[in-house]
Amino acid sequence: MTEALHYDAVVIGAGTAGLTAGARLAQAGAKVCVLAKGVGSTHLAPGTIDVLGYAPERVEAPARALPELISEHPDHPYVLLGPETVAEALAWFERTAAAGTLPGYSYSGSLERNQLLPTALGAVRASALVPETMAAGDQPGLGRVAILGTPALRDFHESLCADNLRAAGVQARGISVPLELERADMNALGIARHLDDPEWRATFCAQVSPLLRDEEHLGVPAMLGMRDPHAVLMDLQHRLGRWVFEIPTLPPSVPGMRLYEILRSALRAAGGRLVLGAEVVSHRRDGERVSEVVTRAAGRDLSYAAPWFVLASGGFASDAIELDSHWITHDRVLGLPLRGAPGPGDTRFVRNYLEDQPIARAGIAVDAELRADGAENVLVAGASLPGAVPWREGSGEGIALASGLRAAQVIAGRVREEAVVG
Amino acid sequence: MITLSTDVLVIGGGATGVGIAWDGALRGLEVILVDRKDLAEGTSGRFHGLLHSGGRYAVKDPRAAVECIAENRILRRVAADCVEDTGGLFVTTPFDDPEYADRFLQGCRECDVDCEEIEPAEALRSEPRINPGISRAFRVPDASIDVWKTVWAMSHGAQQRGARILTYHDVVAVHRDGDAVTGAHVRDTRTGDELDIEARITVNATGAWAGRVAELAGIEGVRVRPGRGIMVAMNHRLVNTVVNRCQLPTDGDIIVPIRTVAVVGTTDQGTDDPDDESVHQSEVDAMLDEGEKLAPGLRDARALRVWAGVRPLFEDAKADDSATRDITRAHTLLDHSQRDGVARFITITGGKLTTFRLMAQETVNAVCRQLGEERQCTTSSVPFPGSESGQTYRLGERLGRKEAALTDVQVICECELVPLSKLEEALERTGTTILDDIRRQLRLAMGPCQGGFCIYRATGVMHELDSLSAEQADSSLRDFLQERWKDLWPVLHGDQLRQARLDDWIFQGVLDVGHLPS
Repeated sequence: MTEALHYDAVVIGAGTAGLTAGARLAQAGAKVCVLAKGVGSTHLAPGTIDVLGYAPERVEAPARALPELISEHPDHPYVLLGPETVAEALAWFERTAAAGTLPGYSYSGSLERNQLLPTALGAVRASALVPETMAAGDQPGLGRVAILGTPALRDFHESLCADNLRAAGVQARGISVPLELERADMNALGIARHLDDPEWRATFCAQVSPLLRDEEHLGVPAMLGMRDPHAVLMDLQHRLGRWVFEIPTLPPSVPGMRLYEILRSALRAAGGRLVLGAEVVSHRRDGERVSEVVTRAAGRDLSYAAPWFVLASGGFASDAIELDSHWITHDRVLGLPLRGAPGPGDTRFVRNYLEDQPIARAGIAVDAELRADGAENVLVAGASLPGAVPWREGSGEGIALASGLRAAQVIAGRVREEAVVG
Repeated sequence: MITLSTDVLVIGGGATGVGIAWDGALRGLEVILVDRKDLAEGTSGRFHGLLHSGGRYAVKDPRAAVECIAENRILRRVAADCVEDTGGLFVTTPFDDPEYADRFLQGCRECDVDCEEIEPAEALRSEPRINPGISRAFRVPDASIDVWKTVWAMSHGAQQRGARILTYHDVVAVHRDGDAVTGAHVRDTRTGDELDIEARITVNATGAWAGRVAELAGIEGVRVRPGRGIMVAMNHRLVNTVVNRCQLPTDGDIIVPIRTVAVVGTTDQGTDDPDDESVHQSEVDAMLDEGEKLAPGLRDARALRVWAGVRPLFEDAKADDSATRDITRAHTLLDHSQRDGVARFITITGGKLTTFRLMAQETVNAVCRQLGEERQCTTSSVPFPGSESGQTYRLGERLGRKEAALTDVQVICECELVPLSKLEEALERTGTTILDDIRRQLRLAMGPCQGGFCIYRATGVMHELDSLSAEQADSSLRDFLQERWKDLWPVLHGDQLRQARLDDWIFQGVLDVGHLPS
């Protein structure tokens, strides 16, 4: 074993929470390293910033619904974070996106009004901040709309989407265009890469244009470019002479990968380091503190030492929390105690699939400052936190951004205190 | 109201009922088959997939063993495309009575089950996952059989010969005219339409439900005790040979490799309700613990799905009340004209999947006797549609087809390599709006993600092709998700829970299935 690499803070997990914590710490001047087994939620999720979509009815304004949620659900992570941190995190994110490496690509929205965006099934999801590529899909402003699909994209079904939107009162119809593609089962990412090419885009627009009617918005699967989505959107709107918006569909999520790119570049720009393929396989402790984590990467173990750690490795979906075959739940990363995890004899699941599943709220037990029980220098963020059901209530990114930000603030505050005392 | 008339009305669309339709159609009889659900949705579709060599019954139930080996040899020929020639092993683990092995070998000889003792080391070389502590090992001609393929092949064959297969038709009443059964009144459970079917002979092939249907005909005392068994499908082919523990059959003592999975089976528990499909935690634990004895590490391998099926066990006077496993696995044919003085009504029940063809043959023989017609059975020589070449199924056939057309074919279900063309063809052929019917026909959504990706795609394709309303499509999708959840959650842990959370993310987070307008 080589000697440990030393950092001011080590973040575990490269989803929205981990990258936010890492970027904020780096921006505050800390020497930061983000370690992750792989990419996180971003590549799966729609790429919107959802703060609170359902509680349990659809939320019009997160700013008003959050205090209510906080008073009614004392175990929810928003109780620890508070509406102010959420607002602060969203403002930081908006600035970060605008200053990011995707030129001109920005997010907009507020906690005062959720935007209502169609899903690939034609349901409507409520999001607080949305990328500009989706903004024109906001339902209240939606007049007549054509939903475009292509036979090569099995992950998007325009007429089902349009029919459900019609049932919700939107004047939608499905249209389909045969695209010349190199394979019969392209995903949205493959088409997005084509759309980055101006010539391909021109041909695409020439094919789509004759199918459109006057005064009709155009909804397309979320595939408007990976490198320069702003230019793709502007070009399409210009050539087609109408508003165009993206509709998120099955992973890999193109707008989610852009979100990842925004956060990753913010981390890098501030001098932070990101190591993917670095699964934390063990750790060392010094009493109540974690002193080092050990990763297994490229065939050898590497040790990372730091006075502070942020655990943002996610829940069951990322294999950070596991239910074993004896029905016992574990934190696989640092072996920390959990909260909200049903025991072997307890109800883990209920029979109705769409109801709240008890196991979903399990997470790492924390105190009011997000410190993990039994590890005073480990702060917990994102889907590692207990008490939320992110994709049921539409709260994942709100919790991730706010807890990532808060974890960075707690660490920065402590470092300052220690500096004064020292 | 529409009235149909036919020579034979078959009630029950499991392997036996469809086998009767196929056998009858081959003999030139007019056949109508009705089932309250889809084909093979009851016991037939809820077993482990074993085509018995007879080895499991060689000691305890020689009659069943003799039937099994004979049928095993026939089905390898006529249903070749439905059978994978996995071969079978019986192994004496440290948990088994070592004395049993000699009785087993003797029983196999007496029952004509081909059985060869091999060195334990050789067995371990071919199946490295099985318990390294085995002391004896025997090769037998066990195989796995795809019951859905089997049933659909026979159904197609019967239909080509004029049979009518009416799925989702529930029998509301069985008609009697004096001492004779004259047919039945059925209701289409999807449309509510009702129709009368007049039949020269009515066959009750409803397995564990046979007592209920007999009651509709006014016949009491057809006692079929449902024997519940659970099965767990593991995500990988943990073994490529059917592996049995060499002992008297007990819980969790067999692993059957079938298609892309390996199924651990099974339990045996008497129940009063044949529709009881619930699975209890303790049963799952017992199954995993027992499986661990046969294949150490199984407990930590990825479990996909769990389901319960009910064996139809016909009770005779000798049966003991506590253990349904002791009732013979051989089948029972009841000619109600002799038993109850009710003519033109026959019940076939008991038995096991491996012997469905024989059961059908004996049933149609009885039908012909009652009709006073001489018609020879040909199901032991006429291949099923799709099995004409005599080539048994080989794992990897689908992958081979996909690779041959890598960029030209759109695959809807990556786990099971189901192309769009197959999905469209199945939707057009069946006209179904039930995604679970498609799952059983094509294995769509039977792989590791259990439909996480392909079910949205299939819903979209079905909506467009069948011109469904959004409301119908949405409820098909929701019904599928609910149905699959029933078989997922009792065994959900480890990597499969991780997968399920990813699927939840897709359905609830990305698509928002829970908040559709309709």
